[in-house]
Amino acid sequence: MKFDSIIIGGGLSGLVAGISLQSKGRRTLIVSAGQSALHFFSGSFELYNTDKSYQEALKGLDESHPYSKMGIERVLELASGVPAFFSQAGIKLLGSADCNHFRLTPMGVRKPAWLTLDGYVKIPSDGKFPYKNVTIANLEGFLDFHTEFIAAGLAEQGVNARICSVSLPELDYLRTNPTEMRSTNIARAVKGDVLGALAQKLSAAASGTEAILMPAVLGLESPQAAESLKARCDLPVEFVATLPPSVPGIRTQLMLRSYYQKIGGTYMLGDTVEEGLFEDDILKGIRTVNHADTVFEADSFVLASGSFFSRGVMASQEGVYEPIFGLDVDAPSDRGQWYQEKMFEAQPYMKFGVHTDKDFKVSVSGRTIGNVYAAGSVLSGFNAVKEGCGAGVSILTALDVAEKITR
Amino acid sequence: MGAIDQNHYDVIVIGGGVTGAGTARDCSVRGLKTLLVERFDFTAGATGRNHGLLHSGARYAVTDQESATECIKENMTLRKIARHCVEETDGLFITLPEDDLAFQDTFVKSCLKAGIRADVIDPAEAIRLEPSVNRSLIGAVRVPDGAVDPFRLTTANAVDAKLHGAEILTYHEVISFIKDGDRVVGVELRNNHGGEIIKKYADIVINAGGIWGHNIAALAGANINMFPAKGALLIFGHRVNNMVINRCRKPADADILVPGDTICLIGTTSSRVPYDEIDHMKVTPEEVDILMREGQKLAPSLADTRILRAYAGVRPLVAADNDPSGRSISRGIVCLDHETRDGIPGFITITGGKLMTYRLMAEWATDLACKKLGRNVKCTTDKVCLPGSEPVKKKSEKPVFGGIGDRAAQGRHGTLSSKIDNSNKCDASLVCECEEVSVGEVNYAIKELDTYNLINLRRRTRVGMGTCQGELCACRAAGLLAKANGCAKKSAEDLASFMNERWKGMYPVAWGETLCEAQFTSWIYEGVCGLDTYSNSAVAI
Amino acid sequence: MNKEINTNENNFEQCIKCTICTVYCPVMAVNPDYPGPKQAGPDGERYRLKDPKFFDEALKYCMNCKRCEVACPSNVKIGDIIQKARLDYSSKKPGLREFALANTDLLGTVATTMAPIVNGTLKMGVVKSAMHGIIGVDKHRQFPSYSGQKFTTWFRKNAQSKQEEYSRFVTYFHGCYANYNYPKLAKDFVKIMNALGYGVHLMDKEKCCGVALISNGFKKKAAKQAATNLDCIREAVRRGEPVLGTSSTCAFTIRDEYEHILGMDNSDVRDSVMLATRFIFKLIDAGKAKLVFRDDYRRRIAYHTPCHMEKLGWSIYSTSLMKMIPGVDFVMMDSQCCGIAGTYGFKKENYPYSQKIGEGVFRQISEIQPDIVATDCETCKWQIEMSTGAHVENPITIIADALDVEATIAANK
Repeated sequence: MKFDSIIIGGGLSGLVAGISLQSKGRRTLIVSAGQSALHFFSGSFELYNTDKSYQEALKGLDESHPYSKMGIERVLELASGVPAFFSQAGIKLLGSADCNHFRLTPMGVRKPAWLTLDGYVKIPSDGKFPYKNVTIANLEGFLDFHTEFIAAGLAEQGVNARICSVSLPELDYLRTNPTEMRSTNIARAVKGDVLGALAQKLSAAASGTEAILMPAVLGLESPQAAESLKARCDLPVEFVATLPPSVPGIRTQLMLRSYYQKIGGTYMLGDTVEEGLFEDDILKGIRTVNHADTVFEADSFVLASGSFFSRGVMASQEGVYEPIFGLDVDAPSDRGQWYQEKMFEAQPYMKFGVHTDKDFKVSVSGRTIGNVYAAGSVLSGFNAVKEGCGAGVSILTALDVAEKITR
Repeated sequence: MGAIDQNHYDVIVIGGGVTGAGTARDCSVRGLKTLLVERFDFTAGATGRNHGLLHSGARYAVTDQESATECIKENMTLRKIARHCVEETDGLFITLPEDDLAFQDTFVKSCLKAGIRADVIDPAEAIRLEPSVNRSLIGAVRVPDGAVDPFRLTTANAVDAKLHGAEILTYHEVISFIKDGDRVVGVELRNNHGGEIIKKYADIVINAGGIWGHNIAALAGANINMFPAKGALLIFGHRVNNMVINRCRKPADADILVPGDTICLIGTTSSRVPYDEIDHMKVTPEEVDILMREGQKLAPSLADTRILRAYAGVRPLVAADNDPSGRSISRGIVCLDHETRDGIPGFITITGGKLMTYRLMAEWATDLACKKLGRNVKCTTDKVCLPGSEPVKKKSEKPVFGGIGDRAAQGRHGTLSSKIDNSNKCDASLVCECEEVSVGEVNYAIKELDTYNLINLRRRTRVGMGTCQGELCACRAAGLLAKANGCAKKSAEDLASFMNERWKGMYPVAWGETLCEAQFTSWIYEGVCGLDTYSNSAVAI
Repeated sequence: MNKEINTNENNFEQCIKCTICTVYCPVMAVNPDYPGPKQAGPDGERYRLKDPKFFDEALKYCMNCKRCEVACPSNVKIGDIIQKARLDYSSKKPGLREFALANTDLLGTVATTMAPIVNGTLKMGVVKSAMHGIIGVDKHRQFPSYSGQKFTTWFRKNAQSKQEEYSRFVTYFHGCYANYNYPKLAKDFVKIMNALGYGVHLMDKEKCCGVALISNGFKKKAAKQAATNLDCIREAVRRGEPVLGTSSTCAFTIRDEYEHILGMDNSDVRDSVMLATRFIFKLIDAGKAKLVFRDDYRRRIAYHTPCHMEKLGWSIYSTSLMKMIPGVDFVMMDSQCCGIAGTYGFKKENYPYSQKIGEGVFRQISEIQPDIVATDCETCKWQIEMSTGAHVENPITIIADALDVEATIAANK
């Protein structure tokens, strides 16, 4: 089966690459081995943890960093187009391409953010929380959101927070199951008339304060439930991320995928690429587990298979490897150099990934593969957690690679 | 006068390991007014860092008949009195082609001599009994080994001590002894949470500090020659075996694979370490490689079983008094009367021994204390069941209704699981999905089992001990603790140090799924939550 | 070769507790008595390995749709773990209802002979109430009607001898539905294959693939039937013929469940068993065959992806073929479960959940308003027809109806 471009990996990076290529008129296929890390979305995309302008901050990066490979100008140019890119799929992102604002985490911590999904708490660049008195509400029995932590965090920022727990009888059936009072199941139950009841209870509990903060558990398929709740509450309602799974993250994934399919892309979920068919350092086609002897051919390929979590790179007792094609990776073989003893120090393994040249082309045994580009978390050279650049690298390298392919 | 009485005890026991808890139990059951003090948490030392093997004694039969005899006797006792802490799995001693099959005969004879049942069985029968065993085995002996959960066992002893009037102060460290002349009359304690110093008095102070007993004795002016022996172990993600598997040869590295609750563990290596390292045990890559290599010889499927974590414990080996070089080491129980030995009345040290003989050690120490106090009361701890292990009518043992969570809690707390209140729907919700720990069980631990932080909770309930090593459950549990203790900031810091402690066991084995899990955990706790803000790099103890 | 594919016994350990499977389980979304794929699968497995008493009978609510597996980013065979646990640990013996629902072969043979009576009887209120009350088959359920003549009977009388005129052959695994309930589908298959220049062979002793036996707890019998089928498949493969099916569930069961659930080695023939649409598409894609369609065929067609088709990942073949028909206005529906899951939705305790699970599919159909809903699974067809009144056909039937037979024969000469 022949395509123009095949993307391996259907998460944030793969979908952005797919949409970008498909909308440039190329026939594309995405092969995704299961769902993506977008399911643990924080509510914001991060570009880089800094209190300076991006322009300023990115200057200091090592040359092996994906941003350095792209060049700062290119990073910022592509970044400015990202909100419009996502709005094609109906996803509204707020933020600037110059500097960070802040998000509020489930532990009540203020963290730098680049683009925040509409509806989430967004703290402006000056760091001043938009309210003085808020009510933080949780749904009774929901264990993946703790109002106490958020209140304590807000108190540090000089904000008074009242905490409360709202009980909806419509959720009783979920509470009978010891494990399934999860964000996504709540999202399925809280819709239609239930939103009215929720709005009433929230408004009553929050009277006298300026705004209601609640867990982001509304709207698995569209942002409509959140809009409808806001419309029915007396006070502004803003959302705070929960522990996994993330309802808005899943919604973002579904909306991106559905937009990609709408513009003609082919998305195969739950399939694993088994091997690549190479000819003179060019990848001709791939075979997958589900399709056995069917070869999917293409002129160019994007490897957006993610980091360790998504099994884009893997580690064994002996070393780190790229499991599909056996690509060159940037990682020492000595296990002693993979870790720091303290969890919250910069862990070296976070930077491990496939080795690429300046154009993000991958290599096998030192020989560059001319038509395979890597994008997103599978790349080496950055620490998504410490640098706060996971989403930035995923989105921007995908856009960059897509342009390189079509150029 | 009231104040003095309140602060005065017949006995103060130092050390919240199984020996200390067992001694506090024995003392209080015999009617002594007892205080148990521990500088951190129960089971924070060697008690929480071993195989959890209910030795039949077979392992020692050839080399140490005395230990073997003690073991089998205590083995049978624990099956009765600590039913809910014990799994009667039986064990195999297997001979592999590289081993000397002739040793089997010596082994069996020594076992029988020590009173340990030892049945030579056909290798095919061994494979049938325990399908995970190395199929190239050429000989097998079946012995009454089992599994014992040291956390549960210690908790049950502490609970019983409290039921008999003992007081318990965890996170209280002995910083000096109060003396009247040479006589020890009490201890000065620092609260390791708040920092305040308090004094407690007693006629007898019993040092049950394990390897740390060396320092405690020194504080009292006595010298005990202890040699720390480090033993490293690996925990696997699920039960590969349902019977204990040992190598039938002279004891060596990594030759015991023990199933315990939902996991199994291989150990141990054995190496002497300097005394100043005992609070900072690290498992080296070489130790991990030895454990993996040898472990796979017992059960080949370990090769592709996920390793949850690596850890190391420190055994206290006590040199004979006449040999300070440490060449002549006893693995047996050492009960020191410092009055006769060092001229320090009112002070006793109980050390040496092993998890299996904790009750006997407690008995010896309490016998000596009673003698000194002039109380003539017999020991009954070998006959009276621990709380949670009381006999119940067969019928009521099975729950009428209950999900996995209720059944898992019954396994953990025995009959005491009736104290877990899951009547409210929300309380039946699982906090820890790997180990099936409900909100109700967490609340029970907070209310009744000296649980102040996440690591206490882990030791009482298994929260965070499962496959995800806290990724899913730690934040939930921290939220419940924050509600209970009313200080969210403290709980957030506790959460950060708990995750740090989990990582400490994971990084030596962080490849494969363990590394995926670690990265996922970092994304959630540092990326999504920003928990690093609350981290002061401390590792919870 | 990709080193990440781990199918060993410890596969459940790849679970890193990310909870993604719980998002996509259709059952958990509607039935709180079901522990959910994470708890029923990898979490519960650790406990069952410790002690079989931790088996939870609520695992019976799993529909075996495998959507958890498709979603899992760690390649955990969640559905397999749950199905195996049910077969290995359940202490509940399957009852009369399970026997009746599972033995599609036996029931089919009897019913086809007495089709008019059976069809009438199954529609009677009294009978339905009795079945509902006594054996627990839901009274709302419409039974597929039985054909008066089995496909195999028709084939032997009318088609078999002509097949030998061809020089290339395929073997057809017709399955129970095409044989007993809807021979048109099987006849359409023969029509297309003949037009493409292929003769059709049947297997010597085709047995039901066993999917209903597996889901109703009859492991031994399923294994016995599987062994017979595998023998016949091997014979076909020895003759150099692929074994084609027209039901996604039959194909999926033979390819995956035989090995994963029943523990039977099918690795020598697995790749030779496939859906007809895949075989045909690949012929066309390789330029080895051509389909010519009628000019006057005009239909708005919505494709519903059956769960097992989603798991196979093969909808791309069926949909690509239908998109080749010039007069087709094609709409791809969002892949969701319709709720029936074979015999699952027939049980009265599952019926309400079954209908609730299907709501998303039913709503999509009412929005799209297609002339035909296309799907590769017969039980999806029953469910959608019963619940929406839509006209549902297998892609093979759609292709056969749109086919210009004479022109296709000529093009493939």
